[in-house]
Amino acid sequence: MSLVKVGQLAWRNLWRQRRRNVTMLVALSFAVMGVVFLNAFLRGMTAQMADSAVNNMQGHVKVLQPGYLDDPGIGKSFVLESEWSPEIPAGQMQGWARRVRVPAVIMSERETRGIEFIGIDPAQESISFVADWTIEGEGLQGPDDRRILVGKSLAEQLETVAGRRLVIITQGADGRSREAGYRIAGTYESEFSAVEKLYVFTGIEAAQALLASDAVTEVSVRLTDAKHQPTVLESLIATFIGLNVFTWQTLEPMAAAMMQLSDAMIYILFIIIMTALVFGLVNTVVTAIMERYREIGMLRALGMRASAVLLQVVAESTLIMLLGVAIGTAAGGGLCLWLSDGIDLSAFAEGLEGFGMASNVLVPVVLPGDLAFVVMASVVMGVVASFFPALRAVRLNPLEAMRH
Amino acid sequence: MNTVARCHSVSRIYDDEVAPVHALRNVDFHLERGEFVSLAGPSGSGKSTLLHVIGALDEPTDGSVEVDGVSLDGLKARELSDLRLEKIGFVFQAFNLIPVLTARENVEFIMQLQGIDSASRRERAEEALRSLDLGELADRRPNEMSGGQQQRVAIARAIVTNPVLLLADEPSANLDTNTTKELCELLTRVNQERGVTILTATHDPMVMGYAARQVLLRDGEIADEQRETPEST
Repeated sequence: MSLVKVGQLAWRNLWRQRRRNVTMLVALSFAVMGVVFLNAFLRGMTAQMADSAVNNMQGHVKVLQPGYLDDPGIGKSFVLESEWSPEIPAGQMQGWARRVRVPAVIMSERETRGIEFIGIDPAQESISFVADWTIEGEGLQGPDDRRILVGKSLAEQLETVAGRRLVIITQGADGRSREAGYRIAGTYESEFSAVEKLYVFTGIEAAQALLASDAVTEVSVRLTDAKHQPTVLESLIATFIGLNVFTWQTLEPMAAAMMQLSDAMIYILFIIIMTALVFGLVNTVVTAIMERYREIGMLRALGMRASAVLLQVVAESTLIMLLGVAIGTAAGGGLCLWLSDGIDLSAFAEGLEGFGMASNVLVPVVLPGDLAFVVMASVVMGVVASFFPALRAVRLNPLEAMRH
Repeated sequence: MNTVARCHSVSRIYDDEVAPVHALRNVDFHLERGEFVSLAGPSGSGKSTLLHVIGALDEPTDGSVEVDGVSLDGLKARELSDLRLEKIGFVFQAFNLIPVLTARENVEFIMQLQGIDSASRRERAEEALRSLDLGELADRRPNEMSGGQQQRVAIARAIVTNPVLLLADEPSANLDTNTTKELCELLTRVNQERGVTILTATHDPMVMGYAARQVLLRDGEIADEQRETPEST
C-alpha cells in the first residue's frame, strides 16, 4: 500500500475521534511551544551570561603572568612593547586592551575600602563594559589621565563625590608601599553594584607611575565571534611564551558552568515534558486500537499484511505528533518573535545579578539546532512510543478481533 | 469443473476451560469451480469454522486444506495473508466496511493492498459498483448507506479482485427479508454471470434456498448434503 494512501487513511482516522485527538493535539502543541520558548529563554539567558562574562574585562582571551590569579599584583606583570598589537586576522578581533590591575586600599576623609585599582587606556576599553557606563562627572580622557573613576556605590560608601580627592595605597614593583592622592573625575553606574564597589580606574600610565613600573598585568582580546577563540588562543600562546593565556571560560568558571548547565537543562526539560506527553499519545493510540479491534481484524482477514497494519497505526500517531510539533514550533517561534524586544525581568534584578546577567531585559534566542532537535526528537519519540501499541494491533487474531 | 477448495479429514478442536470443543470432526469437503454452496446447520454445528478454515483464517487441528491447488499446511502468516488477498473474497455478517472511506474507496482499498495502479483501480472499482447497481452510491461513506447497501458494497469489494472463491459468513444476519432477497439475487447474479464460486455459512433458509448445493453440518460433521437439480428448480 502506498505511503500516500497510508497517510490519507491516517488523516481520516484521526478525525473519527475528533474531540480526543484535538485534545491530544492541543496538549502536544502547548508542550512543544513551551519547550521551544523555554529553550529560547535559556539560550537568551546563557548568551547574556556569556556576554556579561566577556564584557567584565575578561575578553574572550586574556594573557596573564603565571601566578597572577593566586597573588595579583604588579609583581606578576610583564612588559609589552609600545608598538605591540595582536597578530589576529582582520575581521576576527573586535579589539584589545592592556591594563594594570592591582589590589589597593582607597581612603576618603571618612572611610577606607579595599579595591582593585585598574589602569586603563580608555580608547581601548570599547571591548568591555567600561564603555557602556553612565558617568556622572567626567570620564577618563586618556592613558595619562591622573584622575580616577569611582563606582557610584563606592563613592556613597566613601561619602565622597566627583571633584573630591581620594588616597590610594598599594604595593609598588619594588615591594614597597606606595600611595598617592587622586581627584575623582566622575562616578560610574554599572549594572552590578559589586563592580561599582570594587573597581577604581585611572589612566594606565598614571597607574604605572604610582607602581614605578612600565609593565602591564594583563592583555585582554575580544573577538567578533566566539568561534575564533581556539585559533586566537593558539596564536597568543605562541606569542606569549612563558605567560598564561586563558579563555574567559577558565577565568569565569561559574558563568561557564552555568552555560553547560543550561545546555543540559534544555535536554532535561525536553525529556520531562515530552515523556509525559508521549504517555498521553500512547494512551490515545491504545484507545484507538481498542475501538477498532473489529476493523483491524477485518483488514487482516481481507489480506492486509501485519507490516501494513503496523505502518497504519504508527502513521496515525506520527501524523498527530507531526501536527503537534508543527503547530507548537510555529507558536513557540511566534512567541519568541513577539518577545524579541526582550522580557522585562527587573522584578528579579538581584537574582539575575547573581547569575552574572548584566541586563534586566532578557531577549529569547532561537537556535536552528534547538528547533531541529525538538522537531526530530519529538517525532522519533512519537514513532517509537506508538510502535508498541501498534505491535499489539499486529498480533491480533483476525477472527477473535472481528468477534470483539 | 475443477476443484477450488478441498478439505481432507479436517478437525478443529478449541481449547476450553471445561473441556476441548470439537468444532469440526474429520470433515471431507470439496468445492467445485462455479458452485454456489451453502453451509447450513444450527449454532455451534461448525459451519462458520469450516468457512474460516477454507478461508485461511483458522488453522485446522488435524487434516489438510487446499485452496485453488495450494495446500495451506505449513504456510506462514504472511503467506496466508497473501493467499487471502489474491484468491479469496470475503463478505462478513456485519458489513465491515472501513468507515472513513467512501464506497468506491472501500472497493479500491483491497486492490491497493494488491498493488494495482490507481487508474486500473478506479476503473475496476467503478465497474464493480455499476455491475451491482451501486454506481450512485460510489461517493457515500458507510454511515450514509443502509445495511443492505453496505452489504452490496462489501460484495463489490469481494468480487473486484476476481477471486477464485467468495466466502460469505452469515451475510443476511443483519438484514430484513426484502434486503436478504435482494442480496441473494445479487449473489446468484455474481455466481452465474461472473462465474464466481460462492460458499456461504448461514442458518437463513432463504439464503440456503438460493444455493445450488446445501451442506448440512451437525456437531462438527457433515450430516447431509442436497444438490438442487435443474428439475427441482
